[in-house]
Amino acid sequence: MIEVHNLTKRYGRFVALDRISFRAHQGEIVGFLGPNGAGKTTTMRILSGYMPPTDGAAKVAGLDVFEDSLEVRRRVGYLPETVPLYRDMTTRGYLKFVAELRGTPHPKQRADEALERVGMQDRARSLIRSLSKGMRQRVGLAQAIVHDPQVLILDEPTIGLDPHQVQDLRALIRELGRTRTVLLSTHILSEAEQLCDRIVIIDRGHIVAQDTPDRLRETLFQGGRLFVRVDGDTPQAVARVLGRVRGVEKVETPRDGEYIVRARAGQDVRAALAETVVEHGWALLELRPWATTLEEIFLELTSRMDATHASKAPKRKGRGYA
Amino acid sequence: MRSVRIIARRELTQYFTSPIAYLVAFAILMLTGWQFNVDLARRVGTLPPDGAAVLGAFGFFTVFFAPLLTMRLFAEEAREGTLELMLTMPVRDSDIVLGKFIGAWLYFSAILALTLVYQGIWLAITTARAYELRPELDIGPVISAYMGIWLFGGATLAIGMLFSAITENQIVAGYLSMSALFILWLGDFSGSVIQNRALAQAVRTLSLQAHYSTSFLIGVIRFEDVVFFVGLIVAMLFITTRVVESRRWRG
Repeated sequence: MIEVHNLTKRYGRFVALDRISFRAHQGEIVGFLGPNGAGKTTTMRILSGYMPPTDGAAKVAGLDVFEDSLEVRRRVGYLPETVPLYRDMTTRGYLKFVAELRGTPHPKQRADEALERVGMQDRARSLIRSLSKGMRQRVGLAQAIVHDPQVLILDEPTIGLDPHQVQDLRALIRELGRTRTVLLSTHILSEAEQLCDRIVIIDRGHIVAQDTPDRLRETLFQGGRLFVRVDGDTPQAVARVLGRVRGVEKVETPRDGEYIVRARAGQDVRAALAETVVEHGWALLELRPWATTLEEIFLELTSRMDATHASKAPKRKGRGYA
Repeated sequence: MRSVRIIARRELTQYFTSPIAYLVAFAILMLTGWQFNVDLARRVGTLPPDGAAVLGAFGFFTVFFAPLLTMRLFAEEAREGTLELMLTMPVRDSDIVLGKFIGAWLYFSAILALTLVYQGIWLAITTARAYELRPELDIGPVISAYMGIWLFGGATLAIGMLFSAITENQIVAGYLSMSALFILWLGDFSGSVIQNRALAQAVRTLSLQAHYSTSFLIGVIRFEDVVFFVGLIVAMLFITTRVVESRRWRG
């Protein structure tokens, strides 16, 4: 459904996307995961027909996004990051306007159906300016599905919502994703894990990894570093003891009482570590794969990528992770 | 064409729900009403009735009020993020521009139609037996003046819309288009500031007033004036389309 091949986008001298390639099939929810400024929005804007790529090709439903822009736009439902709402219109009026412009037959009926889908039928006559943030987000989503598109592109759909609303919206997206292709961006790892069949991790215009959530976690773990929190002796002493455990390659101490243990390739040292800690009479407070939060995943993946691309890419000063 | 109609209809409805449009309508009616009263009092019994007199003033007011109608057209959408929605609809960029322009022009026409009440008053007092005011109102110049002000208004709106597409700030868009229109209006007086006769004439030919006050308004419909306004509108719409398109490339 979505095929992206060597897509490149430059703004002047700044390279926003550097030859990225990925696919999304029908009935698949693909998550775009990355920090701010990674190129998520740029990719989505290209796929929605908003802007042309500098180089490379992107196809939606077999149609080129630049050559057949209007046809592509007919097949895509797009929810930009800033929800595009006309504040002086009623929700129904707004959805009807969008449906009409999209050339959908029976726009009025479609607008009501979309409202029902997002559970807003009781606010059909409300002015959009009077709606809460969560409701606006839902109206925005209704706008994207009003013409029943084959492909849905959602740019950070759950941002700024409260936990209940997030749950509702995720359920809705999951349901929509059963028959359609959904591409959504987020910078919340757990969201991508829960929702997506496949995750594409992108950083500074490069795809860092793409796989199913399970396999992605596995890969990360195997290469893996462990995060250990121990209450007991001085950091130096604990680090020394942990370093002697069989299979441990290296121990770092980022903060007092916290240790990052790197195991030799293919070795699971968790049991041995736990045993050692207990043997010494220390308290084992935490033991988990290091890269479980998004921040850690990025540090992990991008540091690996930097290592492989070190010769090609120029050295960067500082890293702006959100 | 279907999408043009849909967009134009939304723009027109938008005017009827926004306070600024009503304020503009109110101000124009106040000013022209006052103008009409003064003119009426001056003429009764001494001068022949002139239905176009009030439209002369209307033209000058348009220079200031048209930007208030057009400044939000694109600037507001760019700021609110709805332009991104419009640009990802299966609609050509030129359709968006044309639709918005037609919406604005229709609202302008609605305000203009309100001034027909003055013509009604003229007709009533010049043909009603009780007053016996002679001569009667000459309808010809009134019709040509309305044609002129309508085209004139279209041109000012097209210019205003271009500035609205250039900036995301409504105030800046309004201010720039007001300045541009004021300069184009004053261009008529170029002869009194420019010594070089040929240059002064050239400047005057480009001014808005020269094609309106001294032609349509006095009952003369010249082909060249029609071409001037229509050409100006087409050119402005074309440039606006390009400016909107450039957003895609700038990102």
